[in-house]
Amino acid sequence: MADLKQARIAQLLPHEMEIDDEEIARRKEFLEFRDEDAEVLRGLGEIARKYAEPVIEEFYRHILSFQETKAFFRDPKVLERVKRLQKEYFLRLTEGDYGREYVADRLKIGTVHERINLAPKWYLGMYSHYLRLVANRLLEAFPNEPARAFSSFLTLTKLVFLDIGLAVDTYLYARESTMRKQQEAIRELSTPVLQIRDRLLLLPIIGIIDTHRARLITDGLLHSIRDTRAKVVVMDVTGVATIDTKVANHLIQTVTAARLMGAYVIVTGLSSDVAQALVGLGLDLAKLNTAGDLQGGIEEAERLLGYRIVRGAEVAPTSPE
Amino acid sequence: MAVPIMKQGDVLIASLQEALTDRALIQLRDELSERVGRFRCRAVIIDVTALDVVDSFASRTIRGIAYTAKLRGARTVVVGIQPDVAFAMVELGLTLDGVDTALDLEEGLALAGVVIRGGRSDAR
Repeated sequence: MADLKQARIAQLLPHEMEIDDEEIARRKEFLEFRDEDAEVLRGLGEIARKYAEPVIEEFYRHILSFQETKAFFRDPKVLERVKRLQKEYFLRLTEGDYGREYVADRLKIGTVHERINLAPKWYLGMYSHYLRLVANRLLEAFPNEPARAFSSFLTLTKLVFLDIGLAVDTYLYARESTMRKQQEAIRELSTPVLQIRDRLLLLPIIGIIDTHRARLITDGLLHSIRDTRAKVVVMDVTGVATIDTKVANHLIQTVTAARLMGAYVIVTGLSSDVAQALVGLGLDLAKLNTAGDLQGGIEEAERLLGYRIVRGAEVAPTSPE
Repeated sequence: MAVPIMKQGDVLIASLQEALTDRALIQLRDELSERVGRFRCRAVIIDVTALDVVDSFASRTIRGIAYTAKLRGARTVVVGIQPDVAFAMVELGLTLDGVDTALDLEEGLALAGVVIRGGRSDAR
């Protein structure tokens, strides 16, 4: 089941990363990888089959001699499977067809590496070792033609760099999408508008405010004002550590928009640092109504709405009226 | 299209039903200013609930109405600005400074000091 899901994700990957036929062609063009290169590689097929086993063996001997890379192959079954896949890749390099399917495979490998947390430094180091192994075998295969061995090697390098480029892109893509998801989650969590009394809303703002988030906050607040028919809003910024010009402007915009809808906004929890920063920025603060802390803000709001808060004990003797 | 202006006690209510042309807005301004004097009105309420866009000219004219009405002795309340409209206005810097705003007509009337409970309030 999990494998099936993985397979589907891998299928969608080229599309999501916007790597289409045109992009593949463009990448090859930049690497100067042409049809004759594909032909040269196809010509190496036999040599590849001959040397596949020993190259792979030596390659894994190197990988297993380092603690950090050995850690990925604790399970002998995994090692067997990876070796088999590696051999397929080795032979695949000389098959001469490096189109869409080939690219999709490379992207899949990149995702797998990202998922098991194989850092690019190990990946690239492994590749370097791999290339050197292959170079030596090529020299061995053409004992009297070092020039041919060299040019074959250069051709192979082009293809390998195409592969590396694709793999690195998948790393970055995977990381970026993780980050996007986290930011999304933070945004969703962090813009609540709470009704604490009839017609009184509390808007606690915590963390970093950027343009996008400011927009969400304002949007959420305005709709809540309409839905709850709020008259007063207490906006608490105790949880905002720093305020720069941009953030301050966002806050002023939020306050102004709420005012346009007929709501009165009280800003509370401006720390000494933030207050000094705001004054230092020289913004027009006349529009901001403020109270020292959240308690003060709520008391002020209650006063505006005509609430009078009395302790139960004090009111008890006169209550049955 | 001319905007209908209703009179409720000593309050004038203009309800904008669609985005107005510049000319219609100016006509509305003149009409309101004239009627404030004629009926000795205490307040003007401009209801924009139905509008899904308020541009800079409309915003400036509304402010002009408010200031004119104030000079003629009446207070202006703009009511019914929708969330998306409010957001767009703020982004464009149209903040209606110095003009009172309220959530809807009911709130606006309350702000204008009108108590609708059988007739006129204390004014006369």
